[in-house]
Amino acid sequence: MAPALAHVVLISSLSREYTDGVNEFEIEAQTLYDVIRVLDRRYPGLGEHLEDQTSVAIDGEIYEVGYYHRLRPGCEIYFIPKIEGG
Amino acid sequence: MDAKTIKQEEVLKVVGTRPVRPDGVPKVTGLARYGADFALPGMLWGDILRSPHAHARIRGIDTSKARALPGVKAVITSADFPEQKYEFLGPERVAINFWHMTRNIMAREKVLYEGHAVAAVAAINKAVASEALRLIEVDYEPLPHVIDVDAAMQPDAPLLFEDMITRGVEPAPARPSNVSKRIEFKLGDTEAGFAAADEIVELSFKTAPVHQGYIEPHGCLARFDADGQGEIWASSQGHFVVRAYTARLLDMNIGDVLVHPAEIGGGFGGKTVVYIEPVAALLSRKTGHPVKIVMSREDVFKATGPTSGSSMTVKIGVKKNGKIVAADGVFKFQAGAFPGSPVMNATMCGFAPYDIPNVRSVGYDVVCNRPKSAAYRAPGSPISAYAVESTMDAVAARIGLDPLQFRLMNAAKAGTQTAWGPKHAHDGYAETVKALLDHPAYAAPLAKNQGRGVASGFWFNNGGESSATVHITEDGSVAVATGSMDIGGSRASMAMMAAETLGVAYDQVRAIVADTASIGYTHVTGGSRVTFATGIAVVEACNKVIDELCARAAMIWNVGKGEVVWEQGCARFSGQDSGKFEPLSLKAIAAKRAVTGGPIGAEVSVNAGGAAPGFASELCDVEVDPETGSVKILRFIVAQDVGRAIHPSYVEGQMQGGVVQGIGWALNEEYIYDAAGHLLNAGFLDYRVPVASDLPMIEAVLVEVPNPNHPFGVKGAGEANIVPSMAAVANAVANAIGRRLTELPMSPPKVLAAIDSGRRG
Repeated sequence: MAPALAHVVLISSLSREYTDGVNEFEIEAQTLYDVIRVLDRRYPGLGEHLEDQTSVAIDGEIYEVGYYHRLRPGCEIYFIPKIEGG
Repeated sequence: MDAKTIKQEEVLKVVGTRPVRPDGVPKVTGLARYGADFALPGMLWGDILRSPHAHARIRGIDTSKARALPGVKAVITSADFPEQKYEFLGPERVAINFWHMTRNIMAREKVLYEGHAVAAVAAINKAVASEALRLIEVDYEPLPHVIDVDAAMQPDAPLLFEDMITRGVEPAPARPSNVSKRIEFKLGDTEAGFAAADEIVELSFKTAPVHQGYIEPHGCLARFDADGQGEIWASSQGHFVVRAYTARLLDMNIGDVLVHPAEIGGGFGGKTVVYIEPVAALLSRKTGHPVKIVMSREDVFKATGPTSGSSMTVKIGVKKNGKIVAADGVFKFQAGAFPGSPVMNATMCGFAPYDIPNVRSVGYDVVCNRPKSAAYRAPGSPISAYAVESTMDAVAARIGLDPLQFRLMNAAKAGTQTAWGPKHAHDGYAETVKALLDHPAYAAPLAKNQGRGVASGFWFNNGGESSATVHITEDGSVAVATGSMDIGGSRASMAMMAAETLGVAYDQVRAIVADTASIGYTHVTGGSRVTFATGIAVVEACNKVIDELCARAAMIWNVGKGEVVWEQGCARFSGQDSGKFEPLSLKAIAAKRAVTGGPIGAEVSVNAGGAAPGFASELCDVEVDPETGSVKILRFIVAQDVGRAIHPSYVEGQMQGGVVQGIGWALNEEYIYDAAGHLLNAGFLDYRVPVASDLPMIEAVLVEVPNPNHPFGVKGAGEANIVPSMAAVANAVANAIGRRLTELPMSPPKVLAAIDSGRRG
């Protein structure tokens, strides 16, 4: 499968801490692994933060962050705070 | 995760039925074993000395007299626990700082709330342990304290931590404060949105801190071997979390701690943390004896996590046609003695049921001199929903719209953008509103002094890591084990999903909760995640077992595996001349297990994603006594989208239970402190939770919009139900007396004062 462009959005606290306020990216990726690696190359340390501290919404569906999530062309990816219930 | 095919209702034989609960008989006969029910030979009793001050520096602790008391085997203080590094670990809402956690387990430099643990003893019996506590001399330097969240945010407030700088603010503040963190989510342009509004309503609210109110106090037994291995029996919402936290706090390998899950007498989020387990384990390590600790009810109230009290302001702008154009919420939450209130959830959930183009949600996490807050059923969401849904009601009244129709016309659906970023992926909210609109009770007449309120709420149902094993026994019955503590009927629902998948009767399957050494890691029973996530693990394990059963049948028949299918609980030959083999049942295949390869079973561990959120809408009718201010609940209906109810009776029970807790939060429950910060109502006589005689039958309306990411469509059922309840009651009271109270609980004196102000006015 050829890489496709994914639209990636970080919440503001992440962009403040790691990306000088840039919070939207277009990234060529087949899987979430590709997205994380690209972001981590650009902003060292961001990848580990995303893996450990966020959940991810792919086209609105919320998942634990996992390398194995396959992405459709044009998908929307939001890294959001991980939620814990009662 | 790939989308799964949901099994349609018409083909389901077990899912959706109401079999007898498997935990019922041991519970009603008293044989179920809770945390306090375990004992071992040579066992000692542990007890904990607690602070009499709300805030004080510890200048010294003299334990010599206690140690000298005959029968005392060990005395420990914080000096006996390893120091922890100051760092926040893990995800935002539940970021763990073990520097804080070890200080909550046992105070070090300061005590930060009345009831804060200061020292612990192990003795031959409870009386000696209690006497030893009286002999421990603690030299305190009392300090000013602060409990109210608004007071704690004042610049001159007493500081719990003299070096705490607010996170989430840029540039970072120069001065320390009690504000641990600021959080903000924003969508669109709220200024422009409010400018375009025809009507704007802004209201401020306060809520009292409340306790989860579980009936069973925390209790545990710990045994520590000379080889460094530890074993714990405890009731909790996650024995893997008990294992991990205890190991970390005692500087042990996780694999050296074995935790056995006890039956649990309620948790509601409050048993996702540890208080006594590391203390009992350390006392056991010191003495070489098993040590048991059981909290009193007073200890539970004074030293375990309630949920936050809050101060909130919500502003909503609307067009005359009823379309909401802007919303703003500021939510200030008590974290208790250490950072970590559920305010982030509150900021994310408050406006989530609605399609609002311009919205901002700001949260403050504020430390104060009361116990560290712990999760409580949809943590944070009921609090912000109380403010948002009360304001929604006021907006509907202002523009003359029916409150349910107003909600329906602004309802979020799949594709609606949320304030925290992504679009909703699932429907379900509008369906709950329609369920109430269609209910005959919504048009039922009301008498004098009676009022009707409605409200809605949102909760993220969770997924995450879960493990399950499925084994076919020698006689063909089925043993299911999971790592999920059963707090709401999961043994029944796991057995039902296994039976449905395997095509066998429910009573052919027995489900248990396995200890930490016998099953793979499983996250806590919380976040309404178990039926979804652990259910997926069970179904996938069953599917692996079915593959193996088909392979065994193929071997028995000496045919290709591809010529065998699993249907209606039997392996069936699907090749040419399909009638030439009689179907093989589980029992028949199990009888041939040895000659076909040995025991048949499978273990599956998943990190389940695609959990769909839960929405609930509720209707409450009340009658207010104008002479006393007492509020009587006449009718309560909860309509919740649960995806699909595996065992409807359990799901209805969850819905009813959440509502009852919300009613208590709305009308009765609060921590009452004296001027010195002492809790005055640390018991169920004075901390009034609703009882059956206070309530009508809560009517549960199951709304089922299936989740395509679960084999049976499950969304989760445990939490969304509590989210609207306080607002529903508040809106009903406002409707009944013509005045809106903006502070919980709406206890009789406050209601009477509001009625009297109306009479004067």
